[in-house]
Amino acid sequence: MTDLLDASDIAFAYGPNVILESAGFSARGGEFVALLGLNGAGKSTLLDILAGLRAAQSGSVRIDGRTLSQWSARERAQIISHLPQGIRGELPFTVEQIVLMGRYAYADEWFESDEDRRQATEAMDRMQCLGYRHRQYHTLSGGERQRVLLAACLAQQPKILLFDEPSTYLDVQQQLQCFSTLAAIALSGALCIAVTHDLNLALAHCTRLLILHRGKIAADTAVTEAARDPKWLSLLTEGMRLVETPEGRPWVVYR
Amino acid sequence: MGRVSMTAERSTGWITGCAVLFLLGALLLPWIGPSAVDIQRVFAKAAPDYSIFVQLRITRTLLGLLVGGSLALTGGLFQAMLRDSLATPYTLGVSAGAALGAVTTLALDLDSVLGVPALWIGATVGAGVVLAMVAGASWKSGHISGVRLLLTGISLNSICSAFILLIYGVVRERRSFSITQWLLGSIDSVSYSALGVFAVAVVVSSIVLFRQARAWNLIAVGEFWAASRGVDLQRVMLTGYICGSILTAGAIALSGPIGFVGLVVPHLVRSRISADNRLLLPCSFLLGGVLLAACDTVGRIVLAPAELPAGAVMAVIGGPYLIWVVRRRF
Repeated sequence: MTDLLDASDIAFAYGPNVILESAGFSARGGEFVALLGLNGAGKSTLLDILAGLRAAQSGSVRIDGRTLSQWSARERAQIISHLPQGIRGELPFTVEQIVLMGRYAYADEWFESDEDRRQATEAMDRMQCLGYRHRQYHTLSGGERQRVLLAACLAQQPKILLFDEPSTYLDVQQQLQCFSTLAAIALSGALCIAVTHDLNLALAHCTRLLILHRGKIAADTAVTEAARDPKWLSLLTEGMRLVETPEGRPWVVYR
Repeated sequence: MGRVSMTAERSTGWITGCAVLFLLGALLLPWIGPSAVDIQRVFAKAAPDYSIFVQLRITRTLLGLLVGGSLALTGGLFQAMLRDSLATPYTLGVSAGAALGAVTTLALDLDSVLGVPALWIGATVGAGVVLAMVAGASWKSGHISGVRLLLTGISLNSICSAFILLIYGVVRERRSFSITQWLLGSIDSVSYSALGVFAVAVVVSSIVLFRQARAWNLIAVGEFWAASRGVDLQRVMLTGYICGSILTAGAIALSGPIGFVGLVVPHLVRSRISADNRLLLPCSFLLGGVLLAACDTVGRIVLAPAELPAGAVMAVIGGPYLIWVVRRRF
């Protein structure tokens, strides 16, 4: 069985600043991967490259065994959805209009089809934003906005979902809700990759941790193995250590 | 507002409404002017009513409708393309670039190149170069910075204006007169053939842009957002640059630099009708046309027999509106 996503030897530099040197990993449907790393480690850049939004200077990304650059923009959008850190939100678009944008890759007509509307409604229902579908996006709170953007990604019906810090600006309750939703999406067979700084959130919901360090994937561990091999944590900080919760799950605490 | 989702019925309603206004403008405005035109004498082809009506009033009204429409449409387009609510052909210096190109051809006394009026070619080149420079200079690590965009636009505006003054200073009297007349931004005398060529360019560019309206919605929200939802970013953006330059240049070449219509109309449509470009772009075109043609009509009657250029009337309305937008935004 070929991997859903296979990235190898990705290199990328902004001018003289080398961001990624030879980053690579592969992943399958059903996984929920946390992409961790220090600020400036290149997490967002790697995510952009996986989404086809930036071209790597060398290396290759394969989706379903086929090189990413061979996919048309529309074909790609039917497989991969990327959630950026933020969008320009002050335009008076309604929640429903934003979610329907997720259907662009399926539309040939000037207007959305009934199927587009059905998928958008289902996605809004799943992200619990159906109740405020007619409100304007810029009047929403940070948590409400994030749910709308997630709904737009779901309406896209992708097999791979890439999230750039999906829990930023969210309160504790909404962070939990956001990550458990992503875990549920992964459980239904999609591959979810999320950039995050919240280690315990990742340990509690993700299935696998990738640590980006000095332009490479320096550690790659299943969450179930994370407690046994704490090397990944030392790549991020010396100020924290791993413990085990009474339920036997790994957990990080300050030293 | 915005409570009803985008449906075929709703948008057809709005577009029909705006189109009716556009047609009413086309039918009624030619009858208004400093000298009364008698409808029966016009249909009897009696002098001077018939020639005033056909050679002055109709051409002026049609030009006003097309120029106003083009500039308003381009304003809406630039605001989506560059994701800045103050982006218009005028504020970005694209109009000034087109004007500099046009003035250069006037100064060199060029008439036409391969049958195309040199003024148009000059204006198109000027608009395209400035647009590329503005976008290029405000490009910063993957996105366009709004502050850079406006500052670059203002700078290029001043530079182009300075060069226009420079050219104005060195040419001889006869040419400086034609330059002055053109720079006032009026929309009087124009030939039917020039109008026809411009109309074809406007119709083709507008249809191309309207067809991409959904893609412009996504780009207005974010470039990466659009690309990750399946928009072929390079192709759509390139089309936008070409159509935007053609529309601005054509409008400027025929009427001189007219500001504000590209700012006032799209903002009005966005807040009163919809931010959805499927409605925003066509409605901006139709309403912008009516507004400029109406401004021109006002300009020819308020100080009759003297005439106020349409650009001046537009500025009197548009200036305060810009101040209001800035107050709300910052």
